[in-house]
Amino acid sequence: MTNSQVPLPRTVGSWTRPASPQVVNAQNIFDYMNGAGELYLGYGFDHLDVFTYSSPGRESILVEVYFMQTTDDAFGLLSLDWGGEAVELRPSVSLPDQKAPPSRPRALYGEGLVRLCAGRLFARIMAERETPDSRRAVLELGRSVAQGRELTPEPKLLQELPRSLAGGWHLLGSRASFFRSHLVLNSIYYLSSENLLDLGHDIEAVTAVYERTEAASPRRRLRWFGVRYPDRDAALEALGHFHRVYLPEFPFRSDSDSSAPLKGIFPIEDGWLGYWLKNDALTFLFECPDRETIDRIFASQ
Amino acid sequence: MSKKGRILTRRDFIRGTVGATVGASVGATIMGRAVLAAGQGASGQSLVSVVRDQNAMNADHVVNPEVLRPMVDKTLQSTTGKTSTKDAWLSLVTPDDTIGLVPTPHLNPTHREVVDAVKASLIEAGIPESKIVDAQGGPDKPKACTALIGLPALKAHWLTGIGTVLKLYIMYSGAPSAYHDQNNIKLGEIWNLPSVKGKTRLVLVDALHPLCDKGPQVDPRYKWAYNGLIAGTDPVAVETVCLRIIDQKRRLLQGEPWPLTPPPLCVEAADKTYRLGTSDWNKIRVTHHGWEEALLLG
Repeated sequence: MTNSQVPLPRTVGSWTRPASPQVVNAQNIFDYMNGAGELYLGYGFDHLDVFTYSSPGRESILVEVYFMQTTDDAFGLLSLDWGGEAVELRPSVSLPDQKAPPSRPRALYGEGLVRLCAGRLFARIMAERETPDSRRAVLELGRSVAQGRELTPEPKLLQELPRSLAGGWHLLGSRASFFRSHLVLNSIYYLSSENLLDLGHDIEAVTAVYERTEAASPRRRLRWFGVRYPDRDAALEALGHFHRVYLPEFPFRSDSDSSAPLKGIFPIEDGWLGYWLKNDALTFLFECPDRETIDRIFASQ
Repeated sequence: MSKKGRILTRRDFIRGTVGATVGASVGATIMGRAVLAAGQGASGQSLVSVVRDQNAMNADHVVNPEVLRPMVDKTLQSTTGKTSTKDAWLSLVTPDDTIGLVPTPHLNPTHREVVDAVKASLIEAGIPESKIVDAQGGPDKPKACTALIGLPALKAHWLTGIGTVLKLYIMYSGAPSAYHDQNNIKLGEIWNLPSVKGKTRLVLVDALHPLCDKGPQVDPRYKWAYNGLIAGTDPVAVETVCLRIIDQKRRLLQGEPWPLTPPPLCVEAADKTYRLGTSDWNKIRVTHHGWEEALLLG
């Protein structure tokens, strides 16, 4: 018998769970969920505990508790979709280093599914059919998962996203995500079938959308990517890789011996693209309306 | 050309050069194998039938077999142009065929009622029950069949854009995870395997309760009651119609264009490289029967 590390109640409402979870690891995750497994492997996945709560004559409730390597990975999974109703599953919100409550929810509910992060855990709890009873049960199970766990801190790279950019651009909070994998990147914003940015488990990356509305102009949006590498050499190598594949018609100018910031701005089919290498971090701006936008934003960073 | 071939990027989509790049990348990757030979390239228009009934499922999304069965009949007749379901089936298969039914097995699976209705319909058409087998699974499954009927469930897929028709045979490859990364472009090659090639007589998509985002894991926020069946003999054309429906639903949900990402590279490759059918909307004729609300084919 395998015991779960999460103290889920044996019974919730009229639903009852089996004694032990089904345990899914990196070796059998494809058997359990086919290609969906790549999503979790793209973050620091350790293992998954699965419980199916059943009730006679009623649809079941599926509980999936993903044990991730870091809190950043747990938060990253939640950050892929900020839609739904924010629900508070903890009796009180506290985080020693923050003076204000967290700006982003740690649990979201929608049509019978709650997604949450708590400590290093990410969880999906889904009722096959949404009813008032199943909603209560799903949220109670969510509280059980979160009980006693630290509030998952927001990844530093996500915290560092500017709320606004020079030129009147403001962050769309619902479009900011943390990730590590190029497969996840492509599910948010397709760049290439190849891992152009040399992403991996030792990399931190964020993406966000900024919007500007002007009286005389239609709403404009640009896409921001920020990637942090182990060191500058890795960042420079990744930039060179990206440039060779994505911008082959433009020469790549870099001085690998220099530690000075490196900037590039290019006109391509869907607007202007800019990148900025500073120390171990790369920043990309896609779909900018003109060169001046990129110049202003980079000058203010 | 490098051994690796050209790498597809977002810029190829914007420029409209996906077809050329896909062909180049796939050709180089497979190092000259004959998969690029002309196959089932469509000439003229490919017919896709969409049949819907508002009462196919109840408010709890339970399928009504009494409503579903006539939908299957109508789908067969519309797709084949025959006036009886029996004649429709016998224009596609014979009683001597070993017919493999290929449903989506799990994670937003094909409704059991759809599989049962198709099987019952085949039996009524004179196909011996012993000649109708479940053909979803590993490489041995299609080898036992002389005809295949694809019965996928309509869903988006986070890795490939769409995970419906072309992904249906992924287990036949013997190495499904090999198609999760950039090689998902090559899903069409599975349809050209010797044990599979030329056997697919019909693709009938379960579009009763589709999933338009985050697939294959189910997120109920992105499921809706389309209450439809989508069918044709051109698998790429059927997939293209499925894509249109998903795209339109996403646009409705978001209130603005919400394109699938990653884009479904495998569809254009299935057309331009593997010649399995057409992905050109101008070469597809869609016939619709039944419930018209939110048809999502605009």
